[in-house]
Amino acid sequence: MTNPATRSLVVVSAGIGQPSTTRLLADRLSAAAERHLVDAGVEPRVQVVELREHAQDLTNNLLTGFPSPKLEAVIDAVLGADGLIAVSPIFSASFSGLFKLFFDVIERDGLAGMPTLIAATGGTARHSLALEHALRPLLAYLNAGAVPTGVYAAADDWGSAGIPADGSLVERIDRAGRELAVAMVAREPRGAHVPFPEPIPFEEQFQSPKRRPDRA
Amino acid sequence: MQFGIFTVGDVTPDPTTGQTVSEAERIRIMVTVALKAEEVGLDVFATGEHHNPPFVPSSPTTMLGYIAARTERLQLSTATTLITTNDPVKIAEDYAMLQHLAGGRVDLMMGRGNMGPVYPWFGQDIRNGIPLAYENYALLHRLWREDVVDWEGRFRTPLTGFTSTPRPLDGVPPFVWHGSIRSPEIAEQAAFYGDGFFHNNIFWPNDHVRKMVALYRRRFEHYGHGPADQGIVGLGGHVFMRKSSQDAIREFRPYFDHAPVYGGSMSLEDYMEQTPMTIGSPQQVIDRTMGFREFVGDYQRQLFIADHGGLPLKTVLEQLDILGEQVVPALRREFAALRPSQVPDGPPIHPAVRASEAAHGSAAGDPPTGEPSVGAATPIETAVESVPA
Repeated sequence: MTNPATRSLVVVSAGIGQPSTTRLLADRLSAAAERHLVDAGVEPRVQVVELREHAQDLTNNLLTGFPSPKLEAVIDAVLGADGLIAVSPIFSASFSGLFKLFFDVIERDGLAGMPTLIAATGGTARHSLALEHALRPLLAYLNAGAVPTGVYAAADDWGSAGIPADGSLVERIDRAGRELAVAMVAREPRGAHVPFPEPIPFEEQFQSPKRRPDRA
Repeated sequence: MQFGIFTVGDVTPDPTTGQTVSEAERIRIMVTVALKAEEVGLDVFATGEHHNPPFVPSSPTTMLGYIAARTERLQLSTATTLITTNDPVKIAEDYAMLQHLAGGRVDLMMGRGNMGPVYPWFGQDIRNGIPLAYENYALLHRLWREDVVDWEGRFRTPLTGFTSTPRPLDGVPPFVWHGSIRSPEIAEQAAFYGDGFFHNNIFWPNDHVRKMVALYRRRFEHYGHGPADQGIVGLGGHVFMRKSSQDAIREFRPYFDHAPVYGGSMSLEDYMEQTPMTIGSPQQVIDRTMGFREFVGDYQRQLFIADHGGLPLKTVLEQLDILGEQVVPALRREFAALRPSQVPDGPPIHPAVRASEAAHGSAAGDPPTGEPSVGAATPIETAVESVPA
């Protein structure tokens, strides 16, 4: 049974390096969201997914049409979550191919209404609008509910030689985490994902043939 | 239980030689495989239907009619007949005609087809795939059961006072399967009519196949056709055999690595682990196939894919020999020993076929009697009631 006072949060990071800046940002966002969930009297259950670990399975799923058992468990966790944090490095003016691959193999409508925090990392601030022209439209297409604040972190945001970071990244992380927590608490818990729902009964989805088949 | 071969009819280069057969050769290979299937004691040959290269079988009843004339016992079927883009009137006519020519040795499997561009070539739209499958089959079902049909629907010209000819042989329509890999709606449709449900059981993991068949069985019972374990279920299977499993894997690997569907994805070993594909010794194929009944229950028809992916004809015929000599006899024995008595031991057979078998004493697996069943006199009084529609 789903406890109304708990919410599940899945963090999807498409970072490449280990450790990666993308994962670092994902963890900060997750911590902020957890803090605000606890403040709202809700117990967060957090699962972090490193897409890197599923890169081969994602490609295979794209080609064969079915996920490996390991990848299926991850997809089910995301589709059954109460909130999602999706973080990608910005490559060639957009999210990475690995990041997109994940959203390509999950079922259509699976993320509908899902409170989602989008975030990205990149070398310079010049790529920051990739959040708004790439990640946000992708999530909008999937009918996910991306919160207003997206968080982009460039190298400078972590501080550069001799110049400490100005603290605005920390503020943005906190604001985004709060927005996500509020959206998650506002919704009923989703409950576990049912990968194989019952079909609509034959009679209801089609005007029944004039008479039933002869076989009794 | 019935065992047989199903074929896609792909023209694929042999990756080990780079050679590609001509369409003429490919068609001849399909026919040769069908004749061989009967020769080695298999029960069924089912052809695919495709309307785009690299596939050749666009006209299944032409091919099956030819095979019917050259065989005596082989059940002729499809995998699948496109219920979405074919006119159901033409399906009703073509397969009734085939039934007459083949002495009732005909059933067919409905499928939707998954290539978007094929639909508009036939005036349809892939986004209507399920509604087309539902509406067209509802009409086909009536055309075979009602002598005069008035009909109006969404996708086809209305019919007023229409009679599909010839009427089904002895008034008994061909048995119908509905095949689907991933659409629960099709399992639901098969259950509604009390028809058979077929899962190709090749590309997807066991657990998915299990859920589709379980859904069909549950709904079969819901619609009052009998207990869930008496639904009519068929499965595909993908096997390649040599005496030793190492030899089988070594020989088949290039065909796997370059296959149109899964080529370039995971390794052969991983694919075998995650799907029902079995490349190995005959005994491994027997064991794995017996394992199917553990996740779908006792079932009625097992088809294997044999000629595909550029495999040379000689190799394909060797595979059929192994199936006929070693694998299928063992499977018949083991399935029969485990099957509870209330579960049907095969799909419904046309009364004309049963009468012909009784007359010639040639039950499945026995050597052919030499007397052609095509055009053989059929006792009409045995028809109708005994075969579930």
